[in-house]
Amino acid sequence: MKVKVYGADLTAWVVAACMARAGNDVQIQGPQSQQEKPLQDISALRDEPGLLDQIQLQMQKGRLKRTGAQDVETDIHWLALEHNEIEKAQNIIHGLAKAVPENLLIVNQCNFGVGATDKLQSILNEELNQVIVYIPSNLQDGKALQGFSQPKRITIGSENNWAITTTRALIKPFLQNIEHLLLMTSREAEFTKLAITGMLAIRIGYINELANLADQMNVDIETIREGMGADPRIGNHYLAPGCGFGGLSFNQNIARFSETFEKRGKDSLLKTVISENEIQKELLFKKLWQHYQCNLTEKTVSVWGASFKPGTASIDNAPSLKLIDALLAQGVQVKVHDPEALGNLQKHYRNQPNISFCNDAYEAIKDTHALLLVTEWPEYWSPDYLKLLKDMHTPLIIDGRNIFDREALEMYGFTYMGVGR
Amino acid sequence: MTVDQSPAWLALNTHAESIREKHLTEMFSEDSQRFEKFSFSAAHCLTDFSKQRITEDTLQRLIDLAEQQKLPQRIEALFKGDKVNPSENRPALHTALRQPKELPLLVDGDDISTEIHASLERMEALVDQIHNGQWRGYDGSPIKTVVNIGVGGSDLGPLMACRALGQFAPAHIREIEVHFVSSMDGSQLARILNHIDAASTLFIVSSKSFTTIDTLTNANTAREWLVDNSGLPIELISQHHFIAITASPDKAAAWGIPEKNQLHFWDWTGGRYSMWSVIGMAIALQTGNENFRLFLAGAHKMDVHFRSAPLGENLPVLLAMIGVWNINFLGIHAHAVLPYDGRLKHIPAYLEQLEMESNGKSVTLQGEKLNYATCPILWGEVGPNAQHAFYQLLHQGTESVMCDFIAPAIRYQDQGEDLQAQHQLALANCLAQSRLLALGDSVLEDADNAPAHKRYRGNQPSTTIMFDTLNPESLGALIAMYEHKVYVQSVIWEINPFDQWGVELGKHVATSLLDQFTEQSSSATDSSTEGLIRYVQQQRKESNDEG
Repeated sequence: MKVKVYGADLTAWVVAACMARAGNDVQIQGPQSQQEKPLQDISALRDEPGLLDQIQLQMQKGRLKRTGAQDVETDIHWLALEHNEIEKAQNIIHGLAKAVPENLLIVNQCNFGVGATDKLQSILNEELNQVIVYIPSNLQDGKALQGFSQPKRITIGSENNWAITTTRALIKPFLQNIEHLLLMTSREAEFTKLAITGMLAIRIGYINELANLADQMNVDIETIREGMGADPRIGNHYLAPGCGFGGLSFNQNIARFSETFEKRGKDSLLKTVISENEIQKELLFKKLWQHYQCNLTEKTVSVWGASFKPGTASIDNAPSLKLIDALLAQGVQVKVHDPEALGNLQKHYRNQPNISFCNDAYEAIKDTHALLLVTEWPEYWSPDYLKLLKDMHTPLIIDGRNIFDREALEMYGFTYMGVGR
Repeated sequence: MTVDQSPAWLALNTHAESIREKHLTEMFSEDSQRFEKFSFSAAHCLTDFSKQRITEDTLQRLIDLAEQQKLPQRIEALFKGDKVNPSENRPALHTALRQPKELPLLVDGDDISTEIHASLERMEALVDQIHNGQWRGYDGSPIKTVVNIGVGGSDLGPLMACRALGQFAPAHIREIEVHFVSSMDGSQLARILNHIDAASTLFIVSSKSFTTIDTLTNANTAREWLVDNSGLPIELISQHHFIAITASPDKAAAWGIPEKNQLHFWDWTGGRYSMWSVIGMAIALQTGNENFRLFLAGAHKMDVHFRSAPLGENLPVLLAMIGVWNINFLGIHAHAVLPYDGRLKHIPAYLEQLEMESNGKSVTLQGEKLNYATCPILWGEVGPNAQHAFYQLLHQGTESVMCDFIAPAIRYQDQGEDLQAQHQLALANCLAQSRLLALGDSVLEDADNAPAHKRYRGNQPSTTIMFDTLNPESLGALIAMYEHKVYVQSVIWEINPFDQWGVELGKHVATSLLDQFTEQSSSATDSSTEGLIRYVQQQRKESNDEG
């Protein structure tokens, strides 16, 4: 089929790559500014493992093109715009409604909020099969390609049989592992999408709150967590305490869902989760501050991990940023290592003299007064403890993801602090 | 020769004889152009004096008096940094505090403008640090709450401006909750400490001398509270939870606040004229540094007007001279300040200090006792509320009272029609009250037939001060106008508006009484004081026995 994807961020590129790989004839249309950029300069492509290669491969094979032109021959128009681009979506749809008077199928994969797809449909004439369906994006940074091409669940938000049949045909190649193919109204699908994201955020928020309490009550949150997870009603997912969550779409979605409550005059649980998460991002700083009795002058501190989670180079809303900001504001010398995100971090902290970017994790800990672990990249789980002991100025480890073993570290002679233990 | 024997004063006395008999109703019916003749605009403010009991002749004679008192030269002396405060041998340079950076001001050979702006910039850096969430409390939390501990000028000005400009908090800065604590009895502090978080609270201790007992007592209580909550040593708490704003760096350091957490101003800044200096930090915290600068710019605009406009069109001069007219020639000794905007709730208290502490004097600059009236008694309240309280006295009491009505022309422009209508209702009331005070029930058709207890005599003079909207600039200009009004009146009355010796002795007497509450027998004071001390001792004893 001929598919045209509208958008410039990770979602748009992942759709384009996967659709092309499945044999479709795909065009992707971003804003003019991105259109002219070399692929390797687009951060969404760079930050996601494997994506840039896949895009380049599909372009070589001629199945994927970047375009600025309108093309009425397209079978399916796929909107993957940013959450604040609903006006752009409206303009596109107005143009299409005129150019394709009947049998026009548009897939909306944008997070415009609950009711947005209905609003967009009102531009179209459903009697002539001009239809927009909503398919929520379940994109997870770091696993985006796999997540799109082998999903366990897909939701189609539409009540129009022609549109549902055509959409199913389009997504057929991606249904091998499918466990749930859900059909509901677009409004319900939009709501469900946000409800899931909110639920996950609340779980993390709750376990972090428990961890902070555990800190003060001399119990180990890891034991508590194991006990909680063993209850089948709860399970282990999204129950790891830590120094806060980040990411672009996750944060945007819960913030906007929370606003939906607030617009109706309700203070939402999510609002609290969001603000507490921002506080949680400074947890490691607070532990360091207290350890050094409110005086961090002439201290050098090492930060391991800057991306908002392992497996991505993205630093959007990453806890590392708030932590580093706090350290720099106190005049601390910061040495950061991250296997993927250093480039992005370097851009973010341009012209900032007190931060150095280390390509080697052990370079980053030399002569430091503490090691703060922020992102649990696999390579950090089992470090060379003797080297750390030898090279650090003070053997203090503050573990924001509880990946180290307290007893072992203390045996080596480290001072260890985790989250809630 | 005192001013009341001077030709210009005597001429006014004679002139007043004819005016005293005249009702404002007559003045308005004789001259339909009163508003055009007696309202003046400058620096954001419109002042309408047409409901004052004046004629063009009156104004001219008042200007003659001002000239006779060499007012223009005295205005220059104020701005140039002459020692206009002789009893303390120093200038009063609050106008310098709001002067743009690029204008130098040499006082005794030093360019004080550089110092002033260096101090403001240090304040702005601290404000930024707090707004950015990078001032950290003892557990590493960013500061969320700031408590301004100060009294008099270190409290009333910042409090008034913060309440007036609260809505101007810029959206992009972290919201800081600002509280004010002044009273030495600890009641404000006790209430606040119950519901704020110690680790994220910063105290600003504002005291020019850093010896003010009211302020230091509150600061000590606050520090004890922090020590109790944190379990940390007092030195650490002093370093991380206190900022000192003072003209006495050594004393602040001795109390435990390191130099880097101090902001300084100078002995030539009088307390009640100090909110333009770093004393205004609470204003910057609440409204942002940019708005604080706009506030200063508004005041500077009024300064420029005051310094350059001819006396007959000079807002502060006219406000002052008409005050002198009311006090000294029409015998009015009460002055009500009536804002018709709830955000200006604290302006009466602010002006009470500004006017009464400045001009509540009865000796001349030469130390001679006066035999004419100076500052009247000032009080006030948000107008619409005062209508249900003391307006009865204004309309039907036996006292003559002059009133200042203060209101913005427009409000709530972006907040919907209902609220705009509420402001309009307030304005209608404002104008109705000043009209009724001036004209009495002559505004009605058949007032004469009403029974005596329903009659309104009118002839109460008032000034109406309006500005387009209440914003940092217009508030700055308004306050500067009153400051200069006070100065002009002091020039006419030949008194020093910049000292306040009348508040000193009470402090000493209090110190000497302090011990007597615990001693067995109180040493000789007077029978009243002794009796009251005995009563307190007895109540304490009974309370202890029960406990």
